Order: sequence, then structure tokens, then C-alpha cells
Amino acid sequence: MVGVALSRWTMSYFATAVLALIAAEGLMLAGIGYPHTAIAAPESLLLVHLVAIGWLSLLMCGALFQFVPVLVNRPLDSNTLPLPTLILLVAGLAALLLGFAQLGGTIQTPFGFFPAAAILLGAGFVLVLWNLGRTLWAERPLPLPARFVVVGLCSLAATVFLGIIFALVLGGVATKPHLLDVTALGLPIHVIAGLGGWLTFTAFGVSYRLLAMFMLAPELEGRTTRGALYVGTAALTVAIVGGMAAICTSTNVIWPIGAAGGLGLLALALYGGDIQHLYRARKRRVIELNSRMAGIALANLAVTVALGIGLLFAGRFNDHVGVVVFLVAFAWLTGFGLAKLYKIVAFLTWLECYGPVLGKTATPRVQDLVTEPRAQKWFALYFVAVWIAAISLLLTTPSLFRLGVGAMLLATIGIGVQLMRTRRLANVAPALRLPKGTRPPHLLHSSVQPS
Amino acid sequence: MATQFIDVDVRPTLRAGGEPFGAIMAAIAKLQPGQGLRLLATFEPVPLFHVLGSKGFSHVAKEIGGGDWEVLFSPAATASVDTTPAKPASDTGAWPSPVQEMDNRDLDPPEPMVRILAAAEAMANGEVLSALLCREPMFLLPELAKRGHAWRGGFEPDGKTYKILIRVGAAKEAA
Repeated sequence: MVGVALSRWTMSYFATAVLALIAAEGLMLAGIGYPHTAIAAPESLLLVHLVAIGWLSLLMCGALFQFVPVLVNRPLDSNTLPLPTLILLVAGLAALLLGFAQLGGTIQTPFGFFPAAAILLGAGFVLVLWNLGRTLWAERPLPLPARFVVVGLCSLAATVFLGIIFALVLGGVATKPHLLDVTALGLPIHVIAGLGGWLTFTAFGVSYRLLAMFMLAPELEGRTTRGALYVGTAALTVAIVGGMAAICTSTNVIWPIGAAGGLGLLALALYGGDIQHLYRARKRRVIELNSRMAGIALANLAVTVALGIGLLFAGRFNDHVGVVVFLVAFAWLTGFGLAKLYKIVAFLTWLECYGPVLGKTATPRVQDLVTEPRAQKWFALYFVAVWIAAISLLLTTPSLFRLGVGAMLLATIGIGVQLMRTRRLANVAPALRLPKGTRPPHLLHSSVQPS
Repeated sequence: MATQFIDVDVRPTLRAGGEPFGAIMAAIAKLQPGQGLRLLATFEPVPLFHVLGSKGFSHVAKEIGGGDWEVLFSPAATASVDTTPAKPASDTGAWPSPVQEMDNRDLDPPEPMVRILAAAEAMANGEVLSALLCREPMFLLPELAKRGHAWRGGFEPDGKTYKILIRVGAAKEAA
């Protein structure tokens, strides 16, 4: 055991991800995609993938390249591979977005953007799975939070597999009847595997460890945590494997998805109980901005689940599925992601810059790299804006939606500027900023010190 | 060539609150060429991996239920000096008692790391610092290695407290 080094390219993932989020919010403000067009329209799909891959998946990958080694106490299998991986993912995303633009008739060229996207994104995500998979595989038996990540990565594989089929069918390369069926009926499985399995379930695993760490709460490894893992895994298996089996046997997909929904609710309840326990059992009474904002995002998840159940019982779920997806993406995942990003960027920057001289000279604290009151205003604006936008979607008032999305964009830029200031050490008092023996960190990559 | 394993079960000693290190080292000393050690313990004995690693033993650890661990230590085929050139020789011997002890379990991260590095800077070469933490100090270890300090660490039998011993400058001296 030699401890864990800094992940070299994580900051590049974070920077690209935040830019993708700003771009997506800009498109929504410009009236491109849902709710101005139908949720299944090419423009909406372009928007959804810019958020799901460009923002959320790159954020998650960048975080996991740093975080999985911490979870399993083993250096990342390759600290150089993440850069070519990022290039493949960004190129693949660009091809996919152009493919949707082609599908909608915005651009007219015969080039096969969809097959190109399938190859590039497929290769990029295979490298992600390879690098993280090898790191995890070497450290079996895994601690509980890492098992959530493993299930998340399996869901990513399923999401990408389905996505590749869709891209090849839409690109006109695949014409087998079975694959056409999968494309016609498999969308709910693709969405559940992506938003539910890959992004949400992985975030659960990450949250168990990070919240315990930052709030000085006990690590949870008891029955409820194992229950959340097993029941959640069962839910995802029923949805993904059962759903695929239903499509292949021409059974209605609603059955496995309904069963998975029941199991998923139980898993969410177990997870919710655990998280409440973490917040209550914490030793640190005054918690930092990241933990407070993560709390709001977690509450948003609970509200989203309640809303989904309410819509289902009212028989209106299909009319408002867009609102539920919007809330999952922005109120829960983006809220949680931005909250944790705010802490992780500060911590990694602090460690990179001041780690080598700790104890040898006066150094700033991690909290000196951030200005929480200023960032808190942007976070508050962001969450209020998301709620306004979501309510306007429920009430179908497009002008209010624009207002909400405009405020989301403004808040995201505000948070982005704060992250940049942290990375640039701009919040640190000039006298303390660069003591002897330190160098300012590069914006986009971390120097990995030889040990 | 199949390795023959000699069993050492330190679980009763650990459960009684005892320190099994001496018994393990005695058993290691008695091993014939080609023989290995099968250790049964109530936790994953991480510090021992380093100690025996520097004596040329590779290990395979697995949890065997009830929180107990089985570790197979096999003699490496090559000389220990070649397999672990970076390990300080002093790491295998007994260390002096700590001159400073700190309990960092209730500190916010990364305050435990800051305090340990600051204390180590103020200590003389060869002195030992002992610190209690609430998790493995993953980001501290590369920094200790870079500064030439040797360390031994592992979870206490309660499974919640991580105890690390740091010997200032010991890795540098051995290099």
C-alpha cells in the first residue's frame, strides 16, 4: 500500500463537463429541444445527450478516476489513459450531437455521424470500464461503496451497449429486425440504465463515503446499506436484463419495468434512511457548503420520486415524464454533482499545490481556497431556478421555463467562475498564496509528484 | 513446486487483547526453505504485509467469514533484497517508542494530514510519531514516502481506528 496519487486528467474532465452543462442550458434558453419540441424529437435527444454524456458522465468519470483509487486503496490502473479516453468521448459526443442534428434535418450531409459516434463513444467508455474495472478487480473483496460503483459501471456498459445499437440502427447500418425492435422499444431501458444505474447508483456509492468523510460521520456498512445495494442491484437487473428479455420475446416491457420500479423504491427508501442517519450521526455540527447543498440535492431526489409516484397514481406519468427526467438530471444529479465538485476541486488543488510543503512553511487551509458565502448565492439561485423551471414544465408555461433556465445558466456560470477562482488560488490571501517551494497548479491537469 | 504452509492462528491472542507480532516472527524464523505461513487473524493484518514483504514473502489475503482473515505468506523465489529494493532495512526491526502521540480521529480532513506532517518536520531523525485516525490516510502516504519517512499502519482490532507509526527520516537513511 503506497497511498493514492492525484489523478492527472480529472480537472480536464471537470472543465469539459462544466462547459457542456453551460452549453446545454444555453440551448434550452435558446428554445432548442424539450419543452419547445417533443421529448423524443431529435433536438431534445441532442440536448439530453449533451447533458447525460457531456456534463454528467464526464463529471462522473473524472471523479471516479480520482475516487475509485481512494475507495479501494490502490493506485489507478493507468493515470495516462484518461486523456485519450477523454478525447474519444468528446469526439464521440460531437459525432452523436451532429447525428441528431442530421436526423432533425438541421445539417444535411451524407456522412455517417451515428456510426462514428457508436465507434468513438464505444471505444471511450470501454477504456473507462477497462481502467476502473482493472483497478477494482485487483482489490476484491470490495468495500460496500465500491460495490455500488461496480453496479454503476455495469449499468454504464448496458447503457452504452443499447446506445450503440440505437446509433447503428438510426445510422442505417444495422437493419436486423431484432435490433429494430430494440431501438423501437428499448428507450426506457436505456434511460433507466443511464440515469438510474450509471449516474444515480454510482452517486449513491460515492455519497456514502464522501458524506461520511466530510461530515465526520461513521462509515455505514450495516444491513440497510447492504440492503440498498442488493435491492438496488436487483431492481436494475430486472429493468435491464428483464426488459431486454421482454423485448426479445415480444412481451410488454411495462412488466419488468414495473417490477423494477417497486424494487427501486425499496432501495431508495433504504438509501434515504442511511443518508438521514449520516447527517444526524455526524460529529461535525457546522457543515460546509458542499454537504449542505448535497443535502438539498438529496431532498430534491426524494421530491422527484414522490412526484413520479403521484403522477403514476394520477395516470399522468406519460404526459409529464419530461418533468421527472428534468428533475432527475438537474435537481438531483446536477445539484449533487456541482455541490461535490465545489469541494473536490478545492481539495485536489490544495493537495497538489501545498501538499509538498505542509509542515515546512505556513500554508492556507482548504477552506481558504473557497469563498462560501459568494458561492452559496449561486447555489441558491441554481436550485430556485430549477424548481421554477420544473413547475413551469408541469404547468406548461414556456415563458416561465425560459426564465428558470436563464437563471440556471447564470447560476452555473457563477459557480463555474468560483471553481475557476479556486483552481487559480484567487481566493487565497496574496501573502499566503505561493509560499517557497510551491507552484501554481495548471488549470486543466494535475502534476503527479513522483513518490 | 508446492509451498508447504505452517499454520499460525493468532485469533485467540487478538481476542484476548494480546499482541501476536512476536509469535508470528518466531514462527517465520522457524520456517524451512520452501515453507510458507498460513496466518489466521481477526482483521486484515496490513502492517504485517510490509514487514514480511521486506523479508521476501508475498501474500494472498482473503476474508473467511465472521470478520476473520486468512493470509498465505509464501517465500518469494528471488532474494528479498532484489524484490524490495525501496524498503528501508530499518522497517523490519523494532522501532523505538513514540516520542509523540496524537489523536486525530475527530479532526476534519485534511487536518490530520497537516498536523502529522507538521509534527514530523519538528522531530529528529529516527524518532517515532504515533497517530490515531478514523480512516486510512491515503493522500498522506505518498507525501511521507517523498519526505523519506518510514511508516507502519493498520486498523486496530475495533476496525474503526487506524493507527499509524511514522519514523522520521528512516526511509532516507536506509536508501
